Amino acid sequence: MCNKHFSPVHCIIPPYMLKKLMESGNEKVAGMAARTNFRSHRFRNDRIYFQKASVMEKAILGLTSTQPGKTGMQMEVYDCKQKTDFATAVLLWDTKNTPKITSLAGKNVIRGGKASWDFYWQLFGRNSIDNQGLLIKQYIHYDKGMDNAYWDGRRMVYGDGDGTVFTSFTSDIDIIGHELTHGVMENEANLEYDNQAGALNESFSDVFGIMIKQKYIKQDVRQSNWLIGEKVLVGPKYALRSLKAPGTAYLNHPELGDDPQPATMDKFQKMPDSESGDWGGVHINSGIPNFAFYVTAFNIGGYSWEKAGRIWYGVMTDSRLASNASFEDVRNLSIIVAGEMFGTGSLEAKAVTQGWSEAKV
Amino acid sequence: MKLKLIRSGGFIPVTKAAETEVHITEQELDKLLSIIRRDPAGPRIKDGTYYEINVGDTRIPVDLEKVPEKYSHIFVTLRENLKIIKNK
Repeated sequence: MCNKHFSPVHCIIPPYMLKKLMESGNEKVAGMAARTNFRSHRFRNDRIYFQKASVMEKAILGLTSTQPGKTGMQMEVYDCKQKTDFATAVLLWDTKNTPKITSLAGKNVIRGGKASWDFYWQLFGRNSIDNQGLLIKQYIHYDKGMDNAYWDGRRMVYGDGDGTVFTSFTSDIDIIGHELTHGVMENEANLEYDNQAGALNESFSDVFGIMIKQKYIKQDVRQSNWLIGEKVLVGPKYALRSLKAPGTAYLNHPELGDDPQPATMDKFQKMPDSESGDWGGVHINSGIPNFAFYVTAFNIGGYSWEKAGRIWYGVMTDSRLASNASFEDVRNLSIIVAGEMFGTGSLEAKAVTQGWSEAKV
Repeated sequence: MKLKLIRSGGFIPVTKAAETEVHITEQELDKLLSIIRRDPAGPRIKDGTYYEINVGDTRIPVDLEKVPEKYSHIFVTLRENLKIIKNK
C-alpha cells in the first residue's frame, strides 16, 4: 500500500492521531500534522476520481501502469507433478510461449487467471496483483491429493483433492479469483490474518472471487447462486461457502458435517488465535462481511461488480483502511466510500448501510 | 509409542488426524522433533494448512518437508491415513 503514496506518513498516522497532533501546542508538530492532513484529503479526492475514471481516461492520463510496455497479463503455470518442491516444478505454459496443453487443471488456472486479471484491469485499471504488472505464477498438481489451494505471498498453489470429498481445487474460477485477491490485498490494506481483520481479509477474497465468476459467466445478482467452490466439494448439494446464506453451503455432509459460518454478528464465533483455531476463525466469521456484501449487492441490483464491487474495491485500496481493521471499521468506511462515490443518501450508500445492518454489524 | 499427526487450516478449515504405532526410542523422537519442529509464529500463508504432532498431551508444530529420509515412511503412512474430524 505504502509504495504508491506520496508520503509514507499517510500509512502510519491514523486520522485521530493527526487531529490530536494538530491540537498540539508545538507549532512544528501541528504544522506537520496539518500538512499531512491536507495531503491526505487531496490524495483521497484523487483516488475517488481514479476509481470512477474509465479505463480509457486512465490510459489517456497514463495512469494504468508504471510500466507502460507491460500492461498485458504475464502468467506462468507450473506442474508440481504431485511433489511439494517448487524448484522441481515444470513450466507448463506461459504468456510468451503458449503451447496447447491437455491438462484440465492447467486449462482451469489459465482461464481463471485470465478472468481474474481481466476483471481487475477492465473495471479498475489495475495492472495485476501489485498494479505494477506482476507476473502471476500458478502451481498445479501440488502434493499427492492435497485438498486445498493457497497463496503463499509469491504464488497460487492448487492441489488435486482427495478425489472423494474434494476434487481439484482448480475446478472453480471463484477459488482462483479468491487466491489472486489475497495477493491484491497484500499489496493494499494488507489486513492482518487473524480475528476480525483476518475474517475481513478472507471475505474480500470471497467477494472478489464470486464477482470474478459472476462477471465471467455474465450473471447478475439475482441469477447467481452466490456459492464459492461448488465444483470442488463433490456432490450436487454442496459448496464450500455461500455468501447469500452463510452456514448453508453444506449441511449434513457425511464427512464435513455442517457449514459452520455465521451470517450475523450475534453469531460471531470466538475461536483461539492459533493454527488449529483458524487464526480466530478467519474462514468462519468471514460469513458475516460476506453476507453484508451480498445484501448490499442484491439491494443495488444488476451486476454486482458495477457498483457494490466498485465500493468494495474502493475500501480495499483506501489508505484509511487500517491493517487491523474490525468489522465495524469496514462498515463505517464502506458507507463513507459509497457516499463519496455515489453521494451521501444515494441508493448505493443506503444499500451499504442496509447490508451491514442485516449482518448485525 | 503412539504418534498422532494432525493437519489443520485450509480454504475451509478442516481438521484431519491419523495415528500410528512407532518403534523408536524417546531419545530418537526428541532428536527427530528437534529437526522437524516449526516456529508457529512464522509467516501466515493465506489459506495454508499446518501440521502438528501429538506426543502424549503435547502438540508440537512440525514441518514435514524436514523429515529425514530414515523416518519418511512413518509420515508418508500418517499422511495417507489422515481422516477428517467432522464438525459438530
